[in-house]
Amino acid sequence: MTMRSNLIWSAVLLCALIVLATGIGSSWIGPKRVIGALVGQGSQTDEVIIWTLRLPRVALSILAGAALGLAGLLLQRIVRNPIASPSVLGIVDGAAVGVVVFLWMWSNEANALTVSIHWMPLAATVGAATFAIAVVAVAGADALQPARLILYGIALAALAKALVVIFVLLGPVYRASTALIWLAGSVHAAHWDDVAILSSVLMASLASLAFLARRFDQLVLDDVSATATGMNLLPTKALFLALSVFLTAGAVSFAGGIAFVGLIAPNIARALVGLSARSLMIATPLVGASLVLGADIIARVVAYPLEIPTGAITALIGAPYFMFLLIRQIKYA
Amino acid sequence: MRKWQIPVLITLTAVTAVASLHFGLRNYSTQVVFTALFAPDGSPDSLIISGLRVPRTLVALVVGAALGTSGLLMQSVFRNPLAEPGLLGVNAGASFAVVAMFSFLGVTSLWALSLAALLGAGFAMVMIFALVVFARGALTPISLILAGVTLAAFLSALTQVMIVTNEAAMEALLFWLAGGFADRDVSVVLWLGPFLLIGLVAAIFNANALDAMVTGETAAQALGVDTKQLRIMVLSLASALAAFCVVIAGPVGFIGLVAPHIARLMAGPSHAGLFPRVALIGALLAVLADIGARLVVAPQEAPVTALLALVGTPVLIALVRTRRMRSIA
Repeated sequence: MTMRSNLIWSAVLLCALIVLATGIGSSWIGPKRVIGALVGQGSQTDEVIIWTLRLPRVALSILAGAALGLAGLLLQRIVRNPIASPSVLGIVDGAAVGVVVFLWMWSNEANALTVSIHWMPLAATVGAATFAIAVVAVAGADALQPARLILYGIALAALAKALVVIFVLLGPVYRASTALIWLAGSVHAAHWDDVAILSSVLMASLASLAFLARRFDQLVLDDVSATATGMNLLPTKALFLALSVFLTAGAVSFAGGIAFVGLIAPNIARALVGLSARSLMIATPLVGASLVLGADIIARVVAYPLEIPTGAITALIGAPYFMFLLIRQIKYA
Repeated sequence: MRKWQIPVLITLTAVTAVASLHFGLRNYSTQVVFTALFAPDGSPDSLIISGLRVPRTLVALVVGAALGTSGLLMQSVFRNPLAEPGLLGVNAGASFAVVAMFSFLGVTSLWALSLAALLGAGFAMVMIFALVVFARGALTPISLILAGVTLAAFLSALTQVMIVTNEAAMEALLFWLAGGFADRDVSVVLWLGPFLLIGLVAAIFNANALDAMVTGETAAQALGVDTKQLRIMVLSLASALAAFCVVIAGPVGFIGLVAPHIARLMAGPSHAGLFPRVALIGALLAVLADIGARLVVAPQEAPVTALLALVGTPVLIALVRTRRMRSIA
């Protein structure tokens, strides 16, 4: 019962954050007016401001947070260790490389893209997948030791960051500034188009996960026991890794590198609802969405009218938490 | 063979430093370079060489040598082949303190900023050292580096917040914070240099104790080394060197990781032989990276830190994969 009420409370928290995040902006809109506009009963100006200016950003934060949270959940289950996450495994920065290479290759002299922007998530996915495969390949037999795997991830992430800087420089100045804003991890410039693409990425992943729920539960067991329950270990892990890469790439290509959400969200979700696949798959996206939305609110309010990158806020929460997990593992080692 | 290594390294470094005066947005002939150096005629070429290229080459030489030495000291004391100021968060600590000093107190004097960098680097070092003491040997080298990288991520996020919320700081510090050797203040080198030289001499006198330290703390104590005192002294020196580099050139990573390993490949584990080599190799790497930064994306200039990461990360990966690192997990 507590599990269910925890779920309900996290949903309530998310709704409250949505109302708050929609209300905050260059002019404050009170909760009553926000809710009115959301259900189509508000004044016309409120509805225009909220639906065209504020909601896309809120929706993108939610979707990015949910996708990153799920990606982290899958990775942590694959390596059976709570310290894994997409950012420390080089996937986030790999997606960034995909995006800058895409911007570099497919734009003309006038800085306009020669292909549709809708291909960008695909480019991000290719980049993220390349780096995920590279991490696994470089790690080889070490892939079973989470700490080592993460160090390889950090090394490749540093490599990816360097590549991003160089590709940004290779492009014209305009693109450089666009890319830099995006890299800092921000949901500043959001459109409904982006929301539509990212939500289809999330929906597709959730739908496939619904079919894989039992395998997800089996992966809690150590490798030998999991095999004994009749599971094909490697294909399952590869499948989950692919899904995780896909989700990360989707989030990163629209919201930039928002650090540590994929680390914290699954850990909070586990504390709230336990280990079972179905409840985790609902709770993790909720928590991830609340985290990014909350961080985005803080990022907008703290130094108003200036805006802090959302990724910096999540890093301030996530880094100490990672340190805590690390120290706890040392104590029990 | 080893007798020749140091003269060869000196020659290589000198040749590279001279080459660094030739290449860039405009490539100069040796004749022009020599005119600018020894008979300056006030021509634009001469001004570019003496006013821009000579300073950046000097900064690269000094910072490279200091970072290499700092990395070697950290690796020896922590007995961790991956330790270096960038990965342990010491660079991030120094940068954080400098940005905080600048944006909260509006301080711009180099002395105050250097002091802040020393404090920030020292703080990060103390955090890492406290973690090592707290874990009582249960901390694997890999976990130590993970902790350092996380500390660096945290401090960088704080730095980022300060920079974004303070536009004056952003304009003044963004360039410095990117790390690099061009357009830096050479006078800092002259001010801080002597202090560090004294520290370095002290470390060289303790080369034998450091050799003992690498074999293990108990072994070192059995040989009569005051390990506690040595650790504190050497780590202070290592963080001071890193802080000094951050004040001059901003946070520059990977030289401190790579240089000691090349030096060890050349001369084995003895610190008496390692100190001169690591300084020369660090300087050489820094100047090479600086030349590369001018050439890879010409006519623009790449950040030297990105170039160093391109070289440094494969080394890091190779190191994590070595058998020694495997055995100590």
